[in-house]
Amino acid sequence: MSSSSSLSRPAPPVVIPGSGNHIILNPLQRGNPVLECIRNVGKEYGDIVADYQVGRTTGVLFLSLKYHRLHPEYIHTRIEKLGHHYTLRILLILSDISEHKDPIRELTKACLTNNITVIVAFSFEEAGHYLTIFKQFEYKPPNMIKERVDKDYISMLRTTLTSISKVNKTDVETLRNSFGSIANIAKAQPEQLANLPGFGQVKVKNIKNAFEKPFRNHATNTVSFMASSQSQAGNKPHDEQTEPGPSHKSVRDPSPVWDIELDL
Amino acid sequence: MSTLLPFHTSILNEIYDPDTSDLLNLVLLVNATQEEETEIGEELGIMGCRKPGLRVVGYETGTSRDRQDLYKGGGLIAVTSRILVVDLLQNTIPVELITGIMVMHAERVSPLHLVSFITRLYREKNTKGFLKAFTDQPEHITSGLSPLKNIMKELRLRRVWIYPRFHQEVKDTLERKRADVIELAQNLTDNMNDIHGAIVQCMTITLAELRRSKVELDLDGLNLPAAYFSSFDHIVRKQLDPIWHKVGPSTKALVRDLGILRRLLGYLLVYDPLQFHSFCQSLVEAVTSNSTESGSGKSQWMLTDAANIVFQAAKKRCFVDVPVQEQPEQTEVIDLDDDDEAWDAVFELEGRPLEARHPTNKDKGKATATGRRPKWLPKEIQPVLEELPKWSLLAEILEEIEGELVRMESTVSSRPVEESPGTNITLVMCSSTATCNLLNDFLSSMDDKRPKGEWGRRMMLKKLQSWFWWEKRRKMMKEAMQNASSSGKKVGNSYLETTVWSGESLNDKGDHGLSEAMKKKDRERAAQKASRRRIRGGGPTNSSARGATVPRDTPAPGESRSELGFSQTMPDDFLNANNEELLSLNDEEMELNLVTDMSTLEFAIEFDEHYGLLAPAQTVLVRAYSDDTDDRMLDEIKPRFIVMTEPCMEFVRRVEVYKCSNPGLPVRVYHMVYANSCEEHKYLAGIRREKDSFERLIKERGSMLLPILEDQRTTENDAIIKTISSRIAGGRRELNVVSSQVIVDMREFRSTLPSLLHASQLLVIPATLTVGDYILTPEICVERKSLSDLVSSFNSGRLYTQCELMSVHYKTPVLLIEFDEDKAFSFEIISDLKSYAKTTNRYPPKKKTTGNPAEHEYTSPTIQSKITLLTLSFPRLRIIWSSSPYATADIFNDLKKDRAEPDPGKAVATGAEEDPEAGAGVNAAAEELLRSFPGITAKNVKHVMNKVMNVRELCEMDLVGVQGILGVEPGKACYDFLHRGEKGFRI
Repeated sequence: MSSSSSLSRPAPPVVIPGSGNHIILNPLQRGNPVLECIRNVGKEYGDIVADYQVGRTTGVLFLSLKYHRLHPEYIHTRIEKLGHHYTLRILLILSDISEHKDPIRELTKACLTNNITVIVAFSFEEAGHYLTIFKQFEYKPPNMIKERVDKDYISMLRTTLTSISKVNKTDVETLRNSFGSIANIAKAQPEQLANLPGFGQVKVKNIKNAFEKPFRNHATNTVSFMASSQSQAGNKPHDEQTEPGPSHKSVRDPSPVWDIELDL
Repeated sequence: MSTLLPFHTSILNEIYDPDTSDLLNLVLLVNATQEEETEIGEELGIMGCRKPGLRVVGYETGTSRDRQDLYKGGGLIAVTSRILVVDLLQNTIPVELITGIMVMHAERVSPLHLVSFITRLYREKNTKGFLKAFTDQPEHITSGLSPLKNIMKELRLRRVWIYPRFHQEVKDTLERKRADVIELAQNLTDNMNDIHGAIVQCMTITLAELRRSKVELDLDGLNLPAAYFSSFDHIVRKQLDPIWHKVGPSTKALVRDLGILRRLLGYLLVYDPLQFHSFCQSLVEAVTSNSTESGSGKSQWMLTDAANIVFQAAKKRCFVDVPVQEQPEQTEVIDLDDDDEAWDAVFELEGRPLEARHPTNKDKGKATATGRRPKWLPKEIQPVLEELPKWSLLAEILEEIEGELVRMESTVSSRPVEESPGTNITLVMCSSTATCNLLNDFLSSMDDKRPKGEWGRRMMLKKLQSWFWWEKRRKMMKEAMQNASSSGKKVGNSYLETTVWSGESLNDKGDHGLSEAMKKKDRERAAQKASRRRIRGGGPTNSSARGATVPRDTPAPGESRSELGFSQTMPDDFLNANNEELLSLNDEEMELNLVTDMSTLEFAIEFDEHYGLLAPAQTVLVRAYSDDTDDRMLDEIKPRFIVMTEPCMEFVRRVEVYKCSNPGLPVRVYHMVYANSCEEHKYLAGIRREKDSFERLIKERGSMLLPILEDQRTTENDAIIKTISSRIAGGRRELNVVSSQVIVDMREFRSTLPSLLHASQLLVIPATLTVGDYILTPEICVERKSLSDLVSSFNSGRLYTQCELMSVHYKTPVLLIEFDEDKAFSFEIISDLKSYAKTTNRYPPKKKTTGNPAEHEYTSPTIQSKITLLTLSFPRLRIIWSSSPYATADIFNDLKKDRAEPDPGKAVATGAEEDPEAGAGVNAAAEELLRSFPGITAKNVKHVMNKVMNVRELCEMDLVGVQGILGVEPGKACYDFLHRGEKGFRI
């Protein structure tokens, strides 16, 4: 029923795809419930290789996993037919079965080799929504997802402080009320933080870590070091552990060995 | 495996051989918290093993080469799991030489846990070394099917020992000697009782509501005592997670509310009334200020009568509002919130003699306040300042102990031959350091001349004062923000800011003068005030000069306002009112208060002072419950009197052990608990839970089918087949030199994917990457995003930048959207993930007029539309949709098949040309924080990180310094952001 393409109908009158504001549908899609869910944009049938042409250079293939389970070869023929048309090629998968893991994995691989981007929708509603937006956003600049700078102070402060794990909105209020500025928070003693209502040891530790631990912790090798150890590894894999990479030395002096001497 | 034994000591006994008194072998300590690491280190020192003792390897420990040397040196080394994984993968650590690994907190181990990964890596090359795992929290190993077996399977262990308190051996040892325990049940005050009842009622309502929601929950666990424990949230979430997307927002709110209520209940019993009240206020504020963002976030319990009782009673415990009497002044044009000093100024302007107004002031003061009423107290408030009943109980106990000590001393002096062991130090234990400070404050400022229940009046008044100050400030900030946002203009915003702050800075200056003058005569003070008024009046005027008003020399507040009123009536209004009110607090004292409130630095010094006053012969030590250090502390102090202000099962056990290890020592324990409170229930339920979980564990051990450890890795054969490259034409059999490998960004080791990749036979190479998270082939670069990451990085714009970078450097950039294993594979979950940066009104809702109800979901830019936009912007970007990390591992394997292997060196260098230290590990939390500052973008973040050591350094730089790093414009933005709101505070 919900299969993506019903081939039984007689071919409709074919129109040459226009360039207007309509989504162009492949006649094969007639009867697909998704059509009901495409709203606010015009639809017209046309002779296209993709299932939906949602922009000048954007073509969408639609596949319901239920259908795919019955006819696993179908999508491959469609991809083949798609050839090299369109710059943005989308495979819109409707995940309507519970064992989605394997089919999605296969499809992901097939699409990667064929330069197709996979989009997974979880309902017909969502799939229709995607198609609508693709059309609506055809010429939209990506400002919405770019880095933004002009936000108001409070929300910026919130984003900043809640980027530290365990810090929530209430804590942001508390911090702002008791310290005023970020610089003051940075200077705060752990004891001061721990005295605030709602602040436990872990939270204080996280805050202090974020503010005071150095950015670089040298958990992995730097490039230069890596390069040197790589070359050594190629020649004599066991020697590399004893002699230090010369190029690495030049970058910075090694930190002193961590050694805790506790006197009690 | 119990909360009973001197845990760390017994662990150390396992590995420490007193005969040789050194640890030549390499033993690793994994999964320990920082505190535990230091404690174990100290413990080792006590046992006589100083050189080299325990070394800690964390993120700051040098380069991998330094670590390598350290490992080669041997000894006991505590390693952060993530570092250890990297070292094992990079072969920094000589795996064959490891004598053994000790795993702390074995209860946390799960198949996805890093420790399982470590175990796998360790056992791969080293089959001889030991692996011991410890836990002292049996409660955590009870949920799910055969939890014990799963843990043992992950750690590849064969045997388990369980030592509960009711173990015969343990029982025999401990019950020979018993401490003298006095149980004291303190009743709550009426107000507290009301609040307590109300909160419990709220919890019951919330629980009932939760039960009523259609969701299938295991109802056995959902009763009230269980809800007292923090693990309750966990249980509920675990049950709800697979269907979380089907759960309505109201149910989600219920689950969250339960957590809040539980905390509230705990705070009720330990926080002082003022702190509790301000916490309640924060709660209300957080709810109201957010109502615009997410309508679903409303908490139902807040709307109930019971919640009202909570908030009212919380306030009532601090102060009551008294209607201000007789206000003939109301008739005058200016309404100044019956502020004395404002009146001073007005009177002065009107030319009245200063003497004349004093009596009126006095009258007014007497009308509302009785007795010696502090000057700074606002008129309409009558302080109640209820105290926690335990405080006076504690004072009484201490008195009793004192008497006891005197009596003992007299008996001892009559028989001087035998010296009784133990010291006269009285140990007072409480739950947290905050409580600890509170009790200290109370004891030091205690005044037992007053009627019982008001002994801590002095301290509470101080706290009240600081609270008022805090409150004023909060209000001011809030209003400033509201005004700013309502005006909507950035200009107005910044203008307002400067108004407020310039006003305040002047205010500060003035206050300084005031505080000195306070000590002088009345008349002088008045004069001082008058002059200060002039300065202060200039504050708003100066700044508003930009607003094109004529600056005035000595404006009266009322007049200046009427002039300025043309644009900024509101802010000026409250500004003036506030300035005056702020002034009426004695600022200097204020600050002192804050300092003592907030710092505990001079703790030790204060002790002597305090307790010198209390009783010369005796010292009182207030400590918070912690973990195993308590044992040592008991041993060092050897107290005869212990007061437990809050019930704590673990500490009771420690006292038992303490008593047994010091046979001749008489120990008396006072055990305080609020009668009929959650504290009592919690304590009893805790004991029961522990016992139950032990029983379950023992049962499971009895019936456990131990897994036979499967052979480590599948045989070489498989690996060879995998490395045959079929890319070479003609099916020529040629072996690739390197096996199938994936380069993984260091930061990704927080997630579970690397572990699973390794389990699926891929070679995982850790590195610090600038571009991407995983490099699969020279062409495929993957950026992994979990759902919450996805939302937040869309909001911050970070994802766009990352995709930009990937597109530049790799042929096939891939975005991996990874869903959680046991959560639903659907996007609907996203709706309730937090998104603070979302500006709701910036993008007007799309014009949808059909009125279809289903469309309401799409009014704000949905995640779907953002993905759409992303694909439109980057046509080359591929998206992998993965329902779980397991699925991801499979997909990665699939994608890597028949493709070339990536080169780590090249991967690290990609996109990091200008960074000399590319590849060095990065403190992810600090970087995240830094990135969120304005003026710092993905492009210059690396630069900043090379210039400054940490965020704090950046915060302490001056404007020129910051601009030197970031450039003029962004530098200023960043500097302003960091220092905004600073002027009112001197810390």
